[in-house]
Amino acid sequence: MSTIVLQLFIAGRTPRTERAIATLQQLITDRLGDYPCELVIIDVITDPQQAEERQIFATPTLIKESPLPQRRIIGDLADTEGLLTALNLPPVSMS
Amino acid sequence: MEETNYQPPTAIDADADARLQAVVNTSLDGMIIVDDDGRVCVVNATAEVLLRRKASNLLGQPFGLPFMVGEVAEISLLQANGALIAAEMRAASITWMGAPAQLIVLRDLTEQHRIQETLRDAEGFSRAILNSLSHHIAVLDENGTIVMANDAWRQFAVENGDPQLLTTGVGANYFSICATSSSDESVEVPTVLDGMRRVLHGDLPIFELEYPCNSPDTERWFHMRAVPLYGQRRGLVISHTDITEQRRHAWAIAEAETLREQLQARERELLAVSAISSAQRARSIARPQRADSSLRTDNPDTFQICINRYSDILEKAVDARGFALVPDVDLPTRTLATYLGQQHAAARDVVEMHLASLRSRSFGASLERQQAYLEEGRVLALQLMGYLVAYYRDEVTL
Repeated sequence: MSTIVLQLFIAGRTPRTERAIATLQQLITDRLGDYPCELVIIDVITDPQQAEERQIFATPTLIKESPLPQRRIIGDLADTEGLLTALNLPPVSMS
Repeated sequence: MEETNYQPPTAIDADADARLQAVVNTSLDGMIIVDDDGRVCVVNATAEVLLRRKASNLLGQPFGLPFMVGEVAEISLLQANGALIAAEMRAASITWMGAPAQLIVLRDLTEQHRIQETLRDAEGFSRAILNSLSHHIAVLDENGTIVMANDAWRQFAVENGDPQLLTTGVGANYFSICATSSSDESVEVPTVLDGMRRVLHGDLPIFELEYPCNSPDTERWFHMRAVPLYGQRRGLVISHTDITEQRRHAWAIAEAETLREQLQARERELLAVSAISSAQRARSIARPQRADSSLRTDNPDTFQICINRYSDILEKAVDARGFALVPDVDLPTRTLATYLGQQHAAARDVVEMHLASLRSRSFGASLERQQAYLEEGRVLALQLMGYLVAYYRDEVTL
């Protein structure tokens, strides 16, 4: 079973980013608890190199690295159900 | 403006695509069309400016799919130079080149944020000014609801029975607070309510009232003032100022004036006695009434003795008042009058002695004690003057 890898690009710690992080953590705990899951948080202010390498144009940006296909979404990350649909999670082959 | 034709358009879509392209090209908002994978298909000039990137560097790149809870999301755009700007993002599902796509509309929020920041600064500045005032100030909306209160207002509420600011803090209705008031000032309530409403409706430019607001152990007076709130929102600014000190001061001045008038009457009586005396005796009983002559200047040591004796009597009188007793000061007062008579003292000397004694006694004393010195001193000075007049009259008749 391959690990679900999520990368969240944020710009500093604001109430909005805190809310996005909390939603993702809740999503992982409540809805993806049966899967190996990894959430990486990258702050583009402190790590601009990563932002450039990954061609990040806006924050917050959430990238589902794996399983493929890769998925990249931008905006209000505050709806767990909508996020699961947008990210095609949980993966059909893993469920 | 560039475009990646990663999927050839069909003949049916071509017309719609052309119209959409025209809209995107002419929009003052930043517009980006992304395909189903979130890759940039179209980007307009405004979006290029917002992202500080040329279209050639954006087309085909993974921008991402918009994810919204409502109609609009606030995001940060990461410019090519590493700078971040706040932007509002809206999105719509469309068909582009015959395939599902998303139209992303971006609007720069930098100016809006700057204005909001300026407004916040201005509000913070106004609040700081209000909080630096000792007046208790609250702002009411047109329904009488308190929408803002300064630190002094809150502090007064906390110290006077509303520690949680439940009934007198922000959100409470001030008209209702006044209407249900049951303390000393309740007799003023109809006047206050009427005054506030008249100011609110523009019938009065200002409403002011002085009212008592006694605490269990202190007499207090306040000055209330209601002025209209100028600006787009209708409302009132209410201020309450503690004027107890001013009231006390004004009362003390009135007391001093009364005393002065009564002493002047005694002085006239004394002068009349002196006149009779002059006619009957070779020497004047009272000292010569030169403008610069007084016991204080002519004989400072004797004057100081008189002050000390007068102060002792005053102290006894005030102490007796504290224990609700009738002060037994008659004999020492009569004795002091005799002593003053022997020094040929005049009414002016009594007044000077009285004032000097009040000054020395009141220094460092509590407000209540100062008040007691004033009241007892008035009686004592009159009594002393009466005995002095009697002394001279007896001398005359001897």
